[in-house]
Amino acid sequence: MRTSPALLATAALLAAATAACSSDGSSSSSSGSAAFDPKTCQGGTLYVLNQSDATSHHLDPARIYTSGGGSVTSLIFRTLTTRHRVPGQAGDQVVPDLATDTGKASDGAKTWTYHLKDGLKFDDGTPITSKDIKWGVERAFAPELPGGIPYLRDWLAGGTDYTGPYKGKELDSIQTPDDKTIVFKLRKPEGDFPYVATATQFAPVPKAKDNGTGYEKHPVASGPYKVQSHEQDKSLVLVRNPYWSRTVDDQRLACPDRVEGTYGLNAAVINQRLSASAGKDANAITVDTDLSPAELARISTDPNLKKRAVKGEFGETDYIAFNTKVKPFDDARVRQAIAYAIGRQSVVNAVGGSSLAKAATTFLPDQAAFGYQPYDYFPAGPNGNAAKAKELLAQAGHPNGLTITLAHRNADYNHDGPAVATAVQASLKQAGITVKLKPYDDAGYGDTIQKPSTEPGIFLATWGADWPTGGPFLAPIFDGRQILKEGGNFNASQLNDPKINAEFDAINKITDPVQARPRWGALDATIGKQALNVPLIHPIYIRLTGKNVKNAYLDQWRGSYDPAMVSVK
Amino acid sequence: MTRYLLRRFASTVVLLLVMVAFVYVIFYALPANPAVLVCGKGCGGGQLAAIDHKLGLDQPEYVQFWHFLEGIFVGRDYSSGPDVSHCAAPCLGFSFQNDQPVLSLIGQRLPVSLSLTTGAMVLWLVIGVSAGVLSALRVGRFTDRAVTAVSVLAFGAPIFVSGMLLLMLFCGYLHWLDFPVYVPLTDDPAAWAKNLLLPWFTLAIAQAAVYARLTRTGMLETLSEDHILTFRAYGLRERRIVGRHAMRGTLTPIITLSAYDFGYILVGAMLTETLFGLPGLGQLIVQSSNNVDLPVVAGLTLVAGAAIVVANTAADLLYAVVDRRVVLT
Amino acid sequence: MTAELITEAGAAPEAPARGRQVRRRLYADRMAMAGLVIAVVMVVAALAAPLLVHLEGQDATTYHPELLDSARGGVPRGSFGGAGGAHWLGVEPTTGRDLFARALGGARISFLVAFGTLIVQILLGVGIGLAAGLGGKVADAFLGRLIDLAISFPQLIFAIALLAIVPGTFPRPILLMMVIGLFGWGGTARLVRGQVLSLRTRDYVSAARLSGASRTRIALREILPGISAPLVTYAALLLPNNMISEAGLSFLGIGVRPPASSWGQMLSTATTWFQADPTYVLVPGLLLLVNVLAFTVLADGLRTALDPKAPSLRGGRR
Repeated sequence: MRTSPALLATAALLAAATAACSSDGSSSSSSGSAAFDPKTCQGGTLYVLNQSDATSHHLDPARIYTSGGGSVTSLIFRTLTTRHRVPGQAGDQVVPDLATDTGKASDGAKTWTYHLKDGLKFDDGTPITSKDIKWGVERAFAPELPGGIPYLRDWLAGGTDYTGPYKGKELDSIQTPDDKTIVFKLRKPEGDFPYVATATQFAPVPKAKDNGTGYEKHPVASGPYKVQSHEQDKSLVLVRNPYWSRTVDDQRLACPDRVEGTYGLNAAVINQRLSASAGKDANAITVDTDLSPAELARISTDPNLKKRAVKGEFGETDYIAFNTKVKPFDDARVRQAIAYAIGRQSVVNAVGGSSLAKAATTFLPDQAAFGYQPYDYFPAGPNGNAAKAKELLAQAGHPNGLTITLAHRNADYNHDGPAVATAVQASLKQAGITVKLKPYDDAGYGDTIQKPSTEPGIFLATWGADWPTGGPFLAPIFDGRQILKEGGNFNASQLNDPKINAEFDAINKITDPVQARPRWGALDATIGKQALNVPLIHPIYIRLTGKNVKNAYLDQWRGSYDPAMVSVK
Repeated sequence: MTRYLLRRFASTVVLLLVMVAFVYVIFYALPANPAVLVCGKGCGGGQLAAIDHKLGLDQPEYVQFWHFLEGIFVGRDYSSGPDVSHCAAPCLGFSFQNDQPVLSLIGQRLPVSLSLTTGAMVLWLVIGVSAGVLSALRVGRFTDRAVTAVSVLAFGAPIFVSGMLLLMLFCGYLHWLDFPVYVPLTDDPAAWAKNLLLPWFTLAIAQAAVYARLTRTGMLETLSEDHILTFRAYGLRERRIVGRHAMRGTLTPIITLSAYDFGYILVGAMLTETLFGLPGLGQLIVQSSNNVDLPVVAGLTLVAGAAIVVANTAADLLYAVVDRRVVLT
Repeated sequence: MTAELITEAGAAPEAPARGRQVRRRLYADRMAMAGLVIAVVMVVAALAAPLLVHLEGQDATTYHPELLDSARGGVPRGSFGGAGGAHWLGVEPTTGRDLFARALGGARISFLVAFGTLIVQILLGVGIGLAAGLGGKVADAFLGRLIDLAISFPQLIFAIALLAIVPGTFPRPILLMMVIGLFGWGGTARLVRGQVLSLRTRDYVSAARLSGASRTRIALREILPGISAPLVTYAALLLPNNMISEAGLSFLGIGVRPPASSWGQMLSTATTWFQADPTYVLVPGLLLLVNVLAFTVLADGLRTALDPKAPSLRGGRR
């Protein structure tokens, strides 16, 4: 989804200009007439067209940061657990992958035990053992392999001081009593541990073949495909792993015989190629590119293309964040006034209209998996409630309005750029709030807003779910113990309320996600009353596929296509 | 001749050295924190420290410059203890964001830019020079006005506008071409040429306008010179006069400009490459500028400057060959 | 491009043309007058932008979500991008802002950068060119080489490179003026130096020297008027070049950034919308094109008026 603004803009030219090169003329009989049948779907080559490298540049499982195991990465690396690969709400669940179940919790969810299935082999025929998984997790701590999900260090007991296995030291909180069993000892109760076990850090890595930073050149596959070639940020070619089959993996279909990824393409070019679906592009999908508003406008007049546009959601909220240590945002009435003044219709339009975004009044995304509870404590309507906002400002001691500086990224790809900022500026103006805009370089924006000492008073922010439950969505934002002074801080409001912290701990002890949901929803509603931030929108993803592609759906977990489930036959 | 060549070579080298120094000062010496710029976005503390060390930023400026210069001739190693990045000669910098030497990045993309520039150049020379000659021979008449009107229009339209119009026309309405996707020459020459047609024409149109005007001006001037009048008086055929004698005089500024343009456009076709999604040097500089990948940007600027300097020298030499009146000093 | 422009600008005439003659010739040239009129209208419109927008009854910053079809990506309702009595040129997609007001605002920035850059180029170019031409052998050798270097530098590439390392808080229009100007004075300097070197030998200059005038006086009194003709023409040719450079950089996303607008920047956001809302592209596109043409034609007319013997870009009248 991210793209250089320059490249997006200039190559967008192509989409507009070559619109008529699209399927209008070339939509000859599509082979979509034959229904999808998993038993006969084998064969063909799937092409993946992306803006960025689908493996976070690196093919080392320790360095990859994905949600739910990733799209292309989970073709190569199997993990202890994985996301449920079905369309719809059920796709939010965790299911076992290498393990026999999603893990047995004990000791109040501080210990998690997994048993491996039978018949698991690497792509060279050697059996996968629990020691390989332990090695995979341990090497993620090595400083020469930076990256990956941030939870390991905090969750595993002894993780904060561990520096990886290359100097001979083991992480004792990971135990392997036998070849098929692995036990994790956590620092505190974490009911969501099975969700974390979907990360590529939990993919098995054979110690004998691990040569540190060189491993990514020839990573050993545990999934349905192995790597034939990888040119970082340019291309990836996968071929079948002969030691994988559906008998040892009940989640993936792996229909295509071959997967070829092309990276570094422009967003508009990708959409153009998918809509034209000429030649090989008929067998193509994308895993990181949505339709832009202009393309949506164009497609909405073409019924053929509309059929190939799939809609999905990823748990994400774009919002206005406050630094409550900076005046005047320490005054709750000022924050509430801003919440009342916001005209969300303009913000929705700014990112592409009601087909591409929904107005958000809650912090949690509106999906059941998060325990979503609707609330709107500061009803602003589509165009803002200027009168109420002015009233609150007067109460707070600003009867003649207010002047504030809104910080934002100077690129639009992340929904926290000039387009949204200008829309916010325009609607706040009606309530007498003069907004000065302060753009930050794309490269440095994250660092600036994630450090309490440099954090602006009010700024645009985005938050997405690492996995679809309320925990990872709320904790880094509202748990007082997650305030990080040196950087990487997401608790912008710097809330540190012992009662709320205790509630986080209490919910983390629950191991059944369905039971935890209403608690998360209630917690979100409680925090929402304080107007610590102003939720703006939840984005909707709409993506295209090539015309031969079948069984393509955008999963609820990540809003992305799953190359393990699509077919080109 | 040899003395001239040696002298030119010497001054070219001096010019290149000055350019290297200039690039170094602007990109490595001036910025407050070059390590941050080199490391790029999303750079963690540990990586930053490593890069700081690798670049040797704790050493005095002239030592750093010396290493930079040394790198160009014999290559250098960027090391921070056990972690070594080797950059073979000529080392134009090391892109830590892409984990490879700038030179290899350039090498991957050079064929694309070369394909684009060479093809476009052939087109614009043919179209531009013919149009200019035609215009000059029919000066003041309708053909002349038509050609100059078209060339003023072509010159004025920004490349992104003319490129879009071309795409709409050939791809959208006429359906003569699919939209371009780059295919290397070695893979499939026919597809290579077919896909590059639109980018070639887009680039060529803007350039052809300039060359048409230049040719026209040059030809008109040459045709009014004494030796042409003499040839006419001798009764030489007009065609021979124009083709052989007038062209000689006209060609000189065209050659000089072509050489300069070739060098410039090789790296400078940023708009065309970005427009058509061609993975060439122009696109690389825009991308690395957006990603703030300093070594790539610095390296590319150096390459561009060097290309132009070398091209200018080549042009001067060609000039001397073509126009025998020139005395090499 | 630079070399070609210098040739176009022509040589300094034997005797400086007289004002009245120049004007008469210029007025008689219909194309040039058309160019002049358009150029003047554009500049005046840009300067009077707030007034004109006030006349229309709109402004460049108010959002009008009710004028957009939100379900279809935020495309404006109605034909011609929502053009009509209330919004003369329609509204922008996804925001609903008045396009007439935005286009005029864009004109301001485009002209500001183009003219500002021109000033930098002229000041630096004339200064260094004069110094090189009038100075002694050593000064000329050094400065001459410096000019060569400045011309050899790939202007836009350096501009892009520099724009990458300067932090985003520095005002973009000023940065653009400096950067494009800083790498673009070479042509002017070479032109001036060449003219000065040839003028040095002219009679009236020698006369001034013999009468003991200081070098600065010579520069200002005798030389400058002599080079004013090619200089003015060159300047008139530089201006559209500057506009295109800025438009190109803004188009690539490296120049003027949103929410500020220039025609190049508007074009870059607008090109995606060509199919769904052509007005959005055509407004900045045509404005840019017409302006560049107007100034180019004007420059050619100026050159012909100042020195009728110089070959005209449009042929005709000899």
